[in-house]
Amino acid sequence: MRTPHVSIVLAVLLALGLFFGNNVENGPNAFITLGVMNGAVYGLVALGIVLVYKGTRVFNFAQGEFGTIGAYFLFMCLSSGLPFWLGVIIAIAGTLVLGLALERVVIRPLIDAPRINVLVATIAITLALIGLEILIFRIEPQSLRPLMPALDAAGNPAGITIFELTIEPQRLIALGVFAALGGLLAWFFSRTDLGLAVLATSQDSFATKVVGIGVPRMSRFIWGVSAVLGAVAGILYIPLTGTLIPAVMTSNILIPAFAAAVIGGMTSLPGAFIGGIVIGVVQSVGGWAGGHFTIGDKTLNLVVFGVEHVMIFVVLLVVLLARPQGLLGKEA
Amino acid sequence: MTTAEPTVTVPVAPEAARWRPDTRGWGVRVAAIAVLVGIVSWRLATLEGLWADHISQAVIFAIIGLSLNVILGYTGQVSLGHHAFVGLAAFVAAQHVTERAGCLPEEGCTAAPAGAFAVAVALAILSGIIASGLLGIVALRIKGLYLALITLTYGFVAVNSIFEIPSLTRGGAGMPAPRPEVFLTDHRYMVFCIAALGVCLFIDWRFLASRIGRAVLAIKNSEPVAASYAVNVTAYKLMAFMLSGAFAGLAGALFAYRRQIVVANDFRFESALLWVLMVVVGGLGKRAGVVIGSMFFALFPYLIDLATPLSDLLSKLDRDPEEFTLLIGPGLALLTMIKFPGGIAEQIRPLTNWFAGNRFTMHPDGKSRHKAGLLSRVRGNSTPPPEEST
Repeated sequence: MRTPHVSIVLAVLLALGLFFGNNVENGPNAFITLGVMNGAVYGLVALGIVLVYKGTRVFNFAQGEFGTIGAYFLFMCLSSGLPFWLGVIIAIAGTLVLGLALERVVIRPLIDAPRINVLVATIAITLALIGLEILIFRIEPQSLRPLMPALDAAGNPAGITIFELTIEPQRLIALGVFAALGGLLAWFFSRTDLGLAVLATSQDSFATKVVGIGVPRMSRFIWGVSAVLGAVAGILYIPLTGTLIPAVMTSNILIPAFAAAVIGGMTSLPGAFIGGIVIGVVQSVGGWAGGHFTIGDKTLNLVVFGVEHVMIFVVLLVVLLARPQGLLGKEA
Repeated sequence: MTTAEPTVTVPVAPEAARWRPDTRGWGVRVAAIAVLVGIVSWRLATLEGLWADHISQAVIFAIIGLSLNVILGYTGQVSLGHHAFVGLAAFVAAQHVTERAGCLPEEGCTAAPAGAFAVAVALAILSGIIASGLLGIVALRIKGLYLALITLTYGFVAVNSIFEIPSLTRGGAGMPAPRPEVFLTDHRYMVFCIAALGVCLFIDWRFLASRIGRAVLAIKNSEPVAASYAVNVTAYKLMAFMLSGAFAGLAGALFAYRRQIVVANDFRFESALLWVLMVVVGGLGKRAGVVIGSMFFALFPYLIDLATPLSDLLSKLDRDPEEFTLLIGPGLALLTMIKFPGGIAEQIRPLTNWFAGNRFTMHPDGKSRHKAGLLSRVRGNSTPPPEEST
């Protein structure tokens, strides 16, 4: 088992960073913490991406937009006066229905098409969903209430403080949900018959048909679960940024999430977890280092714009060229 | 002890002569083309200003479509970062005319010097080649889905990093790009764009017919087979990538001078994804289809405007036709992939086939396709394949 090894090494590195960062004024500690928290959301979307890839060998570009749609469902429910918990249920159910419908209408007819065609189809789905959002909600930023308020009753920031950074309750919930879902899915794929059937379908759909597993059923299942994962990610992430506009999840989360999935090896659920955290930390610390890079006592001006975005590109490229199977990747 | 082998003469079916039209047939075809070209150029010559601008936009989209077609259609890879190439080239073109040649609109400069304009266009093409070449050198060992992901990320980085450099883009306000004196009117600019499209079509045609084009197609068919015939896979893919970059660069320059100002917001990932879809709708690897598909994607908001009942309905609903771009485009692409693989190119094939000097038939591949597999498709005419001799 390599999984624990990699996890331990990463944890040690993270701890070392935190330890040495502690002695630096304005050190990277807060950024590392922030990175871990952002990474949780990346990882949540990455879980959906990995799930679809594991089950159908397809890159699902619509995963981010499932989140925006879910958030919009919640937004509609809340603005029509429904209680929050009911809104969350309706949002998840609505996205689930949408995911199943898309699977039936778009993915099923393309089940035997080349994978690159299915990729383009998911791109088309993404754009169509964005178009739908623009048409219905206009390009106007809306706000979405978090699960738990960021301020307590006395008006003080709620949550816990780690390294001079107060973590909102919403972020903690995101991290918890992320870890729980990741564990649940990992258990599902390694311990249940249905999980095994899904994996078998992705490897050889003809052979699975022969042993009596319905390929369409597996595809439907995968897309349903990934739609739910997307909706959960959207509901958890949108209140953190405060703005809900069309395409927000695709433009902010999808690429880091894909990078996280690739780092984890595309097929590994714990890999997606670790990848999400790694990308979050790399982005956050990259942004910090870009602003604080010093040689001697001369502070270098920030030459590269958007360091945190460049970091993703570099990390992705290095992983794909040097270790295409990712940290924990293996076939199925 | 040898026994004389009975000599068997295998009757070889004579190679079916390709059907060619007679003189009258050619005459009809040439006349039809002449009439078509005549009508189109007469319509274009009498266009009023606004529509000339729309046509310029459509032509620019067509060049972008051709650029993507080189990657999608010929090499079989997917580039989702074309907004980075086009945008970079647009900014380079605009920046050369304003900042370096010193034609600043805020200082009253209305028309760029022709020389600076020519250099700017050349620089834009060069920037496209360099950008795609650099990306290609680093990323072309990565294939398929992962390459799509890398190009998407590249576009993401370009938008968030390169397009943020103030000296290139002037932040959010945008970089002005005044046109030269010659192309100051929209109509003349349209003619320039159409000429550029013509050049691209010619280069694309010659590219595909060349050694490089054949190699690229061979790689698309099967990379291991091509490599085993000593085709340098990475080098040829890189060449295709750079050609695509050159087209994208030209399109970027044209884009810049069409609006006469370049704003980073024009180049979002949505546009890159939409460009990919328009090539799919047009028909992968088919020049005519790609041009028609791309032009349709650029023009259909204006076409909706032309249909009065439809535009009345939209204005009653307080909706802009352009808001439907992101709904109709993907819808068409999905329809193409699920129901009409081959896209527009496949639908117009009876016509293009006839123009190319074949018999007119609604099914250019013929029914014989099912009998003889791929063999009968080599020429695309309806001659039945030679009977199997026994």
